[in-house]
Amino acid sequence: MSETPSSQAPAGAGVIASADNLRASAWASRPALDIAAVLARWLLGILFVYMGLSKALHPDQFLKLVRQYDLVSSPLILNSIAAALPWFEVFCGLLLLTGIAVRGAALMLAAMLVPFTLVVLKRALAISGAQGLPFCAVKFDCGCGSGEVLICHKLLENGLLLVLSLWLLAGQGRKLAARFTLIKPRPRESQPETGKP
Amino acid sequence: MKRILVEGLVVATIGAVLAFLANGLSPRGLKLTRNYFPGSAALTVTAGPGDTQPSGLGRPKGLSASELLATRLRAEGLQVADSNLVSRLFHDPRFEQNLVLFLDARDDEHYQAGHIPGAYPFDYFHPEQYLGPLLPLLQSAEQVVVYCNGGDCEDSRQAAITLRNEVAVPAGKLFVYAGGIAEWSTNGWPVELGSRNSGKLLSSK
Repeated sequence: MSETPSSQAPAGAGVIASADNLRASAWASRPALDIAAVLARWLLGILFVYMGLSKALHPDQFLKLVRQYDLVSSPLILNSIAAALPWFEVFCGLLLLTGIAVRGAALMLAAMLVPFTLVVLKRALAISGAQGLPFCAVKFDCGCGSGEVLICHKLLENGLLLVLSLWLLAGQGRKLAARFTLIKPRPRESQPETGKP
Repeated sequence: MKRILVEGLVVATIGAVLAFLANGLSPRGLKLTRNYFPGSAALTVTAGPGDTQPSGLGRPKGLSASELLATRLRAEGLQVADSNLVSRLFHDPRFEQNLVLFLDARDDEHYQAGHIPGAYPFDYFHPEQYLGPLLPLLQSAEQVVVYCNGGDCEDSRQAAITLRNEVAVPAGKLFVYAGGIAEWSTNGWPVELGSRNSGKLLSSK
């Protein structure tokens, strides 16, 4: 009579088996996570290239919109923001698309998204107060590259983009990346020497 | 963490250099040192839902965007042209002789989409592209009417200030049509499509 493996299994083997199963399923789900991260990287990249180009091709329109936020009074600073920001967005978008310096680019996107969202929110609150409109009914061209938008949609969109940026910043999206890390760690940092007293 | 910050700094530096370079090479690029808004502060700050013409935040009650613009134009020493005056000037025989000029202060895209027949394009963001043929006409013209979209649109005001301050067009012959192309179209007056004197009219009363 042949013995089934389970009949010979020592006590606790079931726990080990289920732990192995968990680990196996975690590894199995890892490719899905990798694919999702790459898609997120491409999505962010495409969006920033598109939004950057739509502003970069009409810098005068973008300049007028930036001016309406009344953030700076110096023409030099105002012009510099309107001239450079769209192309900078395109640059960061291209880095994400190609997978070069992904965490550095994601850091820049997060660093731009937070203040942009705050100034857009501030202006929306001002419009809502001045015109007596419900907050989510406020609609204006925020200079974000997508024309007139409802403020609640814009805030939701920016929130989502920020989450995706932070996800990439945490080290996701390495698959199909040309050079995920621009500054590679020194060998001593990545492979600590062992066997020495 | 330190490596990410350094990488971010590298991306920021290279990105900024390339961005300014791209702006410099782009034919539509901005001139960093130029003051594109020689007039006072921005007029438009807000827009309501479904409002095709943005409305001003903090605008005095009962004052339309055009009326507010007109008040500001007068305060800046510019003359305001209303519908009646613009219609008279448009039908004035001097219009055909280029002694009365109409200038469209919007960008080329908007100009091509519809402008007052016979109006010259003058996008004040790129005056160098237009002033060559316009300069002798501006010198000989007796009256110059500048317009843009109307409502809160500030392009006509900024263009008029540019013409007065940088091209030395006497303020006495400069008029800003505050109602702009929006009011012109609403009146059912003809709108020309494409380039100047293309002959393609959108509609006429």
